[in-house]
Amino acid sequence: MHSDDIKPNVLTTTLESAVNWGRKNSLWPMPFGTACCGIEFMAVLAARTDVSRFGAEAIRFSPRQSDLLIVAGRISIKMMPVLIRIYEQMPEPKWVISMGACASTGGVFDTYSVIQGVDQFIPVDVYVPGCPPRPEGVVEGLIKLQDLVGKEKLSDYSLTPTK
Amino acid sequence: MPTATILSKIKERFPGAVLDITEFADEHILHVQGQDILLVLTELKVDGFNFLADLTAIDNLNLGGFERFAVSYHLLSHKTTERLTVKAYIPEEKPSLPSVESLWKTADWQEREVFDLYGIKFEGHPNLIRIMNPDDFDGYPLRKDYPRLGRKERSDFPVIKRPFKKEKRTE
Amino acid sequence: MTRVTEQPLETDKMVLNFGPHHPATHGTLRIIMELEGETVTKATPEIGYLHSGFEKLGEDLDFNQYITITDRMNYLSPLCNNVAYALAAEKLIGIEVSKRTEYIRVLMCELSRIADHLLNVGMLAVDLGAMTAFLYGFRLREDIYDLFEIATGTRLTTSYTLVGGLMRDIPEGYDKAVIKVLNEVAEVANDIETLLNKNRIWQNRTKNIGIISKDDAISYGISGPMARASGIEWDIRVNEPYSRYDDFDFDVAIALNGDVFDRYLVRMEEIRQSIKICRQSLEKMPAGDVIVDPGLGYSLPPKDEVYNSIEGLIYHFEVTMPNRGMTPPVGEAYVPTESPNGELGFYIVSNGNRTPYRVRTRPPSLINYSIFSKLIEGHMLSDAPAIIGSINVIAGELDR
Repeated sequence: MHSDDIKPNVLTTTLESAVNWGRKNSLWPMPFGTACCGIEFMAVLAARTDVSRFGAEAIRFSPRQSDLLIVAGRISIKMMPVLIRIYEQMPEPKWVISMGACASTGGVFDTYSVIQGVDQFIPVDVYVPGCPPRPEGVVEGLIKLQDLVGKEKLSDYSLTPTK
Repeated sequence: MPTATILSKIKERFPGAVLDITEFADEHILHVQGQDILLVLTELKVDGFNFLADLTAIDNLNLGGFERFAVSYHLLSHKTTERLTVKAYIPEEKPSLPSVESLWKTADWQEREVFDLYGIKFEGHPNLIRIMNPDDFDGYPLRKDYPRLGRKERSDFPVIKRPFKKEKRTE
Repeated sequence: MTRVTEQPLETDKMVLNFGPHHPATHGTLRIIMELEGETVTKATPEIGYLHSGFEKLGEDLDFNQYITITDRMNYLSPLCNNVAYALAAEKLIGIEVSKRTEYIRVLMCELSRIADHLLNVGMLAVDLGAMTAFLYGFRLREDIYDLFEIATGTRLTTSYTLVGGLMRDIPEGYDKAVIKVLNEVAEVANDIETLLNKNRIWQNRTKNIGIISKDDAISYGISGPMARASGIEWDIRVNEPYSRYDDFDFDVAIALNGDVFDRYLVRMEEIRQSIKICRQSLEKMPAGDVIVDPGLGYSLPPKDEVYNSIEGLIYHFEVTMPNRGMTPPVGEAYVPTESPNGELGFYIVSNGNRTPYRVRTRPPSLINYSIFSKLIEGHMLSDAPAIIGSINVIAGELDR
């Protein structure tokens, strides 16, 4: 090719940036909506606050085909084993957004049967506060997660040596 | 037939069962012994109270009353639009009373819920197992001597760790 | 020569878990089904995956604080729950509210009813494959959320009522905003019916599915649109009116077959009747105050009195501090109301303290759902989402 054609048509970057760019702009969420936050999550997917602008439109209810778990709603002691199982079924790389006060800390329900924060048992990347959070809040959480994914390094995923 | 007449008729027919008839905020409440509840409710169903709206229990530990547990039934008559509350009292040592599932099928799940949360057994129920709490839950949460924060059931789950070098959060 | 004997084909029953996390169950329900081919022979529902101990919390929160918890029960129409709890508490204590409060409560309940039915019909349509009805309904729900936000401050968990009145009055010009939305609701309801009523696929998937007979409905305690679709003529707003519903003129929709199609038709007709009630409530709205304070210590005084006078400040502390104010009588009260799902009532027992002794919700979702295992027997697996959708199970109310 003529050298004048190359400059405006080809760009160079690192493998890390390219991989991160691909991952962050096509996060496929899997909603684990249990309660009122589930309804607000449906409003995030609907027409007014449209999450498909951020590439996250392909909602898959199967954990094997998604890479973002959105825990929306209170998790009770009967539901926690189900959540753990679904989290383990998701393939790497995977991220978790804890949406709402109940998933982050237990919310208003300080009782015998509500887990006081999902992050005690599964690793959470972004917390979105609110009861329920406004759809714009969830989108802000998604954008923060995209920033986090953009800063990841490929060496983060190397396995630690087992003892 | 207005409710007051029905209640005095019940009191005449079952003198040993009826403990009291009270009124509060324009509603009638009939207090009966727990063991005779099936007879009383069968009679009330014949008299026109054909709809069982609600079935629940109250732990009278701090309230006082005839016995420790009271199972309360809210009845409605579609014909006369009258409502009536019937409370059946059972003691703490033997918390069990006949099931009314043979009269109204809605009592099936509601009695299971009362068993789950209070430990009250219903004789003659087809399937009396826990409905809200997990099957291996120990204790009866809504009793007044069970703590609201529970007994550690909400913290014994495995912690999932991922085998990567990744930092948890960079900011 | 050996004869080949004919033996019938043996089939095994397959046990299928329609799990707690599934897109077609609205919320956390689990059904264990035994299938013979595609036909369901036995279905056992399992619930409790969202049990949060609401009734245990109610014994530690005072009468006004519990209102914030009631909106987390039926989260599609939270204002109906707030109104039902406030009515039960007011009956127990013996407070009468002003006429303006009652008209605003009716307006809010009917707007919530429209929102709930739109979502329910939308979810039923999505489960059966008709996505457009869902999108129309959801876009309109955003407009109704805007109305709630103007009046109460939030979209979903409103906590609008107080024991003795409302948190705040509706602002000026609210009626014009409501009438604009009501006109759109009428158009969208017509659009949805045009798409679905005469559609051959919709009729095949919903007619003669899940028929409830009148006797079964009374025995299983069914109420609300499900009961009215089976021919039971009972609507609490008409037969046992509360909050001045007898001042309004509206019809009650009743159908006779009791299948999924009839329940859908009853809900669409209720949307139209709710529009009628909302218009009447706005036209006849009386002037006045929304908080009645008989001096019993339940309602917060207005803020300018709190900041500018010592009596206002003392009264504010009397209402909010944990060992003062609020002395209800010893007794119990149960008030039934007509929520979009059926008969919703709160049963409050008080022993004279600030916090109720026992707060019980009569959950229409739980009681309506108990008939599911009888309805699905003999039908095919793909009828299960249609039947669950027509029952309108809301997991927050089911498990509390």
